[in-house]
Amino acid sequence: MTIRLSVVPRAAPPPALRIGVPFASLLAAGVVGGSILVIAGNSPLDAYETMFDASLNGLRPLMRTLTLATPLILTGLAAAITFRMKIWNIGAEGQLYMGAIAASGLAVALPASSPRPVMLLSILLAGAGAGAVWAGLAAIPKAYLNTDEVITTLMLNFIALSLMNYLIFGSASFWRDSAATFPTGKAIPESAELPVLSHRLHYGVLIAVVSAVVLWWVLRRTSWGFELRTIGDSRKASRYAGMRVGPKVVSVLALSGALAGGAGAIEISGVIKGLDPRAVAAELGFTGIVVAAVARLNPLAVVPVATFLAAIVTSGSSLQRIGIETEIVFLLQGLIFLFVAAGDFFLVNKVILRPRPSPALVDGGEPTDE
Amino acid sequence: MNDSVLVLSIVSAIAAGTPILFASLGEIMAERSGVMNLGVEGMMLVGGVTGFWAGIQTENLGLALLAGALAGAALSLIHAFLAISLRVNQIVSGLALVIVGNGFSAFWGNSGDSPLIQRQSGVDVDPFLPSAWRDLPGLGPILFGHDAVVYFSWLVVAGAGYFLFRTTPGLGLRATGEDPAAADAAGLSVTRIRYLFTFLGGLGAGFGGAYLALAVLRTWQAGMTAGAGWIAVALVILAGWRPWLALVAAYGFGALRNLGFTLQIAGVDVPSDFLAMIPFVATYLVVIVASANPARARKIIGPAALGEPYSREAR
Amino acid sequence: MHTDEEPILQIRELTKSFYGVAANNRVSFDLYAGEVHGLLGENGAGKSTLCSILAGLYRPDSGEVALDGDAVTLRSPQDAAHAGIGMVYQHFRLVSSMTVAENMILGLENQSVRLSLRSVETKVAEIAGGYGLEVDPGAYVWQLSVGEQQRVEILRQLLRGARIMILDEPTAVLAPQECDKLFVVVRQMARQGHSVVLVSHKMEEILANTDRVTVLRQGRNAATVATSETSAEELVTMVIGGDHFPEPGRLTARRQDGTAAVLAVSGLRVTGDRGPLAVDGVSFEVRPGQIVGVAGVAGNGQRELQESIAGLRPVSSGSVWIGDRDVTSRSPRSRSRAGLSYVPEDRLGTGLASGLTLEENLVLKSYNEAPYSRWGVLSRRAIASMADKLSAQFDVRGARAKMPVSSMSGGNLQKAVLARELTRPHTVLLAAQPTRGLDLAASAAVRSHILSETAKGRGVLLFSEDLAEITELSDSILVMSQGRIVGSYTPETLDVEELGLLMTGAKVEIE
Repeated sequence: MTIRLSVVPRAAPPPALRIGVPFASLLAAGVVGGSILVIAGNSPLDAYETMFDASLNGLRPLMRTLTLATPLILTGLAAAITFRMKIWNIGAEGQLYMGAIAASGLAVALPASSPRPVMLLSILLAGAGAGAVWAGLAAIPKAYLNTDEVITTLMLNFIALSLMNYLIFGSASFWRDSAATFPTGKAIPESAELPVLSHRLHYGVLIAVVSAVVLWWVLRRTSWGFELRTIGDSRKASRYAGMRVGPKVVSVLALSGALAGGAGAIEISGVIKGLDPRAVAAELGFTGIVVAAVARLNPLAVVPVATFLAAIVTSGSSLQRIGIETEIVFLLQGLIFLFVAAGDFFLVNKVILRPRPSPALVDGGEPTDE
Repeated sequence: MNDSVLVLSIVSAIAAGTPILFASLGEIMAERSGVMNLGVEGMMLVGGVTGFWAGIQTENLGLALLAGALAGAALSLIHAFLAISLRVNQIVSGLALVIVGNGFSAFWGNSGDSPLIQRQSGVDVDPFLPSAWRDLPGLGPILFGHDAVVYFSWLVVAGAGYFLFRTTPGLGLRATGEDPAAADAAGLSVTRIRYLFTFLGGLGAGFGGAYLALAVLRTWQAGMTAGAGWIAVALVILAGWRPWLALVAAYGFGALRNLGFTLQIAGVDVPSDFLAMIPFVATYLVVIVASANPARARKIIGPAALGEPYSREAR
Repeated sequence: MHTDEEPILQIRELTKSFYGVAANNRVSFDLYAGEVHGLLGENGAGKSTLCSILAGLYRPDSGEVALDGDAVTLRSPQDAAHAGIGMVYQHFRLVSSMTVAENMILGLENQSVRLSLRSVETKVAEIAGGYGLEVDPGAYVWQLSVGEQQRVEILRQLLRGARIMILDEPTAVLAPQECDKLFVVVRQMARQGHSVVLVSHKMEEILANTDRVTVLRQGRNAATVATSETSAEELVTMVIGGDHFPEPGRLTARRQDGTAAVLAVSGLRVTGDRGPLAVDGVSFEVRPGQIVGVAGVAGNGQRELQESIAGLRPVSSGSVWIGDRDVTSRSPRSRSRAGLSYVPEDRLGTGLASGLTLEENLVLKSYNEAPYSRWGVLSRRAIASMADKLSAQFDVRGARAKMPVSSMSGGNLQKAVLARELTRPHTVLLAAQPTRGLDLAASAAVRSHILSETAKGRGVLLFSEDLAEITELSDSILVMSQGRIVGSYTPETLDVEELGLLMTGAKVEIE
């Protein structure tokens, strides 16, 4: 008797699967990552235990994790809203750099004695604005010439990186602290720093979480969100319904850029406190794409997913103590991304194994055995 | 700019363009079958680290390049499975491949008692034609001054062009990317063709990555491609999915990468960070200009079914 | 003719389900050499599924296919070709950016690696001459008319040595004269010993051109009879299974001359996707209470005309007026506000967004208007109550309001589109292929909705490839060919023979 595998699309995944499949994907990523550790001569259990201790076990590690989760929530949201519309903004990384450049520049340019609320509001807006403009450089060609946004946003990442390096390492720019021996950015005044909640965790985390909730509501309950979802579902239907796709592409990409740019400003104000290219270029934008994918583009799910991935990244440095290279965390991230993407298949399709009564009709061909 | 500077910059542009060329050629073949694999950067990194490791182990350039190519191809099979069999969004799957490739190569390269990052490649990659030819003024170095891999790349370009446009399987490949349902009805196996050419795309990227580490950079470091894989993806569009145009475009970008070096010789002082920007700014602008020209835009839309999964029973 | 011999193809108890619904339920079928066998049934009766199984595209859940008495497995189109089964799909499977010869060689076995089109061209010319099926092997498929493309498909199967030729709804896209030519070829193939399966839902065609006919109803065998021993009445009963659906009431004298047009198109020129003009100087008017039908073979500019009226495609020259407003350069939304309702050809994908729910699709054009949204915030209550009301009024079944519409059947999808388009304020309805692919009951419902528009004083512009539908519903008929209006009729002046000639572009009417 032969068993035949058949795949049937389903209309909507049952709720149990919507939770279960991502968890199964995480588990699979953990197993594959662990196997690689074994091959490299390490103990995966020790590694995962060390990672847990370093990121979630205790107030201090937890606060460290949440501090890193803050920008990841924002870049995750940035990716999620454009992916929802089937616009592939891979440029959160560069938009974040531009936000950091604008925020740090304005923070050192404004009088240090400015009231903190004015200062914070100005630099956050400057960061968001710079991110939005940078995204606009990809959005406008996309909206009006249908230029491939994957390529343009990526190129803009590399350009932003070079620009940021130039401001600190390549010139005596306004951003650079001329008094310091090593190239480094001027420190921002205390009035430009986000207040601290606990340990190193700053108020930025609240901005990030509130952004997620607001975005979730906007997507579900406003006509702006309705248009975004309709365009994402079917370009043709949205044009037919009278929606203007071009301006929408621009506004959604600009909002996405603003979220990423805002993340850059928050990193400057809450964590880095001056333009330091090495600290800013921490793959926060790229990790945001993983966050969005694992959260299945749901803004509310972005918050826990960003926290989870932040925990993995934060714990990287602790691994060196037990002789494992930090880079394993990037590999783990990639594996999670891969397995979650593969898991989508099981959400949109039902896989049925059924015995075939007549063996004469089946032998080989498609994947038939299990 | 005198003659020798010009000649030297052309020669170095070819060297710098060759890894991108291999990756672009591979991607052209994959995309011609309808599979868009954005994971080129990741496949190049894995090809690079594997090739570099194999170079140290074997001290044989051919084996090292082969190992790199196979490693890139192995990674591409993950994409093939996700994109072709599981019908996952190809952009998402390609991005995942970049992150996996990046993490895996960095982890491997930095691990162990004697990490690759501190080593020399240990294989010779030098010009091999008689020096009398190479010393011919002007064209001598440009035509005869390269290592064997560059000549191999010219063969591959010619072979790929011939295959695509002058052979029966090439016709089948193009049909699969244009209209998989028609190819299927004609009796071609869409799945097999797509797997095969996605694999070939991985071979190209892995080979390019290995060549980059072994011959161009001659060292290995995490993230050594620095965007070369993405440039390769962009070049596929600029070249209109044609192998010989990919060669022109890759050398053009090789020249841009080396512009700093060239300008330094010419005595022009431009900050190095701006020089590093040039290939990316140029790609950004060229992609926009190409899409702004409607006559060209119609031609560069590429294989009609690019990025679309095919399912025979989808109704 | 075939009484003693063994059938060359036998199908036994074939079952195939999609989404848990049996498209074929224990279907059986015999085919003899030299026979033209009609496969008759409504849309959705399982004809296409059966063909796809024979073509090796779908694999049956159970049942058996036997060739010359031996059971075979058709795992792929390649297997079907080996077995001598050639399939001509309703939607041709040709790569349109490639030439005829390239399409012929695609997947052909025993070809040298080096591409040599010459050898194929001579073989094609040989076969083509024998059947009078001339085509230019160097022409690109996209340059060919639909009839020519069909000839390419038939030739391709002959070239591969098909002895069983399956033609899936071959006349759906042809003008009457082209149909006649096709049946000459079909007869000739049968004389030369080929067996032809002619799939159709058109009674006359089956009666006139087949030796035997098998009727499918709801995925099951209804009957197999010799064509000479049956009648149209008997076949109709087999097809619809004794149920009778009311014909939509015929209204007469709906035209109100002298009133201002609700839609006026004048001198319209529109470029197609491939560059040249797809609509070339079209002018007409639709008056209140009038149904203007546009007849034509698919691909003669109808789609581009619809899209340019709706504002989805830019106009090169000419003008479009809705009522007293010139909307030529206005957006789709302002046209719809000016009074245009539009039922597009492509229901799922254009008329409806497949991933959105039924209630979201019902507010697709009014989501930004009160009461469905205020200050940009959607009112779920208003949307839900409207959805309940419309679903009941238009008898939209099979979908929960909060499920994606992609799970709904074709008839319910079309009812949902109509529910939205007919209940919003409008003066003119543009309906394209409104009943294509629907079963009889749903078609009747859609037609009566369209007819009821006229009673409300609205104008209707109806595009249909179903000539019977056009002649039944319209007060005025326009014939479209190669982007132009080449003829116009009223029911009194209608000459179907001449209309058919005009559709093919064979005759230019002289006024």
